[in-house]
Amino acid sequence: MCIKNSNMSETFVPSDYFPVVIFFIFALLIGFGTLLLGVVLRPKRPYTQKLYPYESGNPPVGEPRYKFSVKFYIIAMLFVVFDVEAVFLYPWAVAYNKLGIFGFAEMMLFVFILLIGYIYVWKKGAFDWE
Amino acid sequence: MVPLSWYIVLSALMFSIGVFGFLSRRNLIIIFISIELMLNSVNISLVAFSHYLQSMRGQILVFFVITVAAAEAAIGLAILIAFYRNNPTIKVDEINLLKG
Amino acid sequence: MSTPQVLFAYFAVAMTILSLLVVTRRNPVHSVLWMLVLFIHIAALYLFLNAEFIAAIQIIIYAGAILVLFLFVIMLLNLRKEETEKRFQKQWLYSIAISVLFVFFLVLIVGNITVIPPPGPYTADVIKSEGHIMTVGKVLYSEFLLPFEIASLILLVAIIGAVVLAKKRIE
Repeated sequence: MCIKNSNMSETFVPSDYFPVVIFFIFALLIGFGTLLLGVVLRPKRPYTQKLYPYESGNPPVGEPRYKFSVKFYIIAMLFVVFDVEAVFLYPWAVAYNKLGIFGFAEMMLFVFILLIGYIYVWKKGAFDWE
Repeated sequence: MVPLSWYIVLSALMFSIGVFGFLSRRNLIIIFISIELMLNSVNISLVAFSHYLQSMRGQILVFFVITVAAAEAAIGLAILIAFYRNNPTIKVDEINLLKG
Repeated sequence: MSTPQVLFAYFAVAMTILSLLVVTRRNPVHSVLWMLVLFIHIAALYLFLNAEFIAAIQIIIYAGAILVLFLFVIMLLNLRKEETEKRFQKQWLYSIAISVLFVFFLVLIVGNITVIPPPGPYTADVIKSEGHIMTVGKVLYSEFLLPFEIASLILLVAIIGAVVLAKKRIE
């Protein structure tokens, strides 16, 4: 819903999204509020042992950050591409009744072209987890 | 009301910050992020024009910009990974294999 | 100042600061996380421009997919050592000069741009009565047919190219 001035039609305030703003404010308040409460209330006696990942466990060896496998990258990349495809499907599905059989045909062509890529990736073995 | 030129100036400001990052950083990943920043600033100006001209074309163009940005990120980062395998650095001033 | 102007002022200041943070952080992970905050601000700005669906795909694609891709690559390359080295190239002063000049001329040229009537048919009321996604869909799949099909080819190139480049050779 938009609030408009009488003479200037461009002024637009998305007041439908006001609850989202309230939600954000509450989320920030609760998040930072609890952290602040902890800082204020807790006793402060720092020593090195407390910084270990496991207080009574083995002392840590080596880097905590280890190298990821490239397989994760390929999966994430395929996710990005098919995410974009799904975003193109949304307005098509909403406007489907207005577009008719022609809209169906063009979307089938779009999906077919991406299906070629999907089959290629499958044959190439990018989905195998070895 | 907010005039159109405010949005365009904001977009120009963000674009030039992206240009600064692109030209001055050594880390290739942050150079890619600067490119994404520039694409986003252009998207802001496109959506602003679309709203003030009361036309949908700018917003449709944003779709294609986002598509190209996704493809660019996928390919560019894949090139980065392929390069890193042969020559483990991502500092642009150390990538000088082709220098005479 | 009216309420929309105050809100725009907040967004402008916050987005400028966030962009500066994005391009100046030493650790690329911090850079990506500031970028995430910046994208949420951009999505909110799109809501003020009556582009709900663009705001949604800004969150879904940019914040949800592309930034995850960047984070994965940062994790993949494991750049612990590089975080202690210097972050700018030696020509950084020139690049500041170039970008300041760039923004100066851009503001000089487009700084007081306005829309000359008559504007197009898609007013806020028309979009509201039809729904934003419906309006986008009708324009995208009738007027922009060829670019839409070319977009699928771009995505095909992205899939094949990234798999060919990133996957190790299978003997």
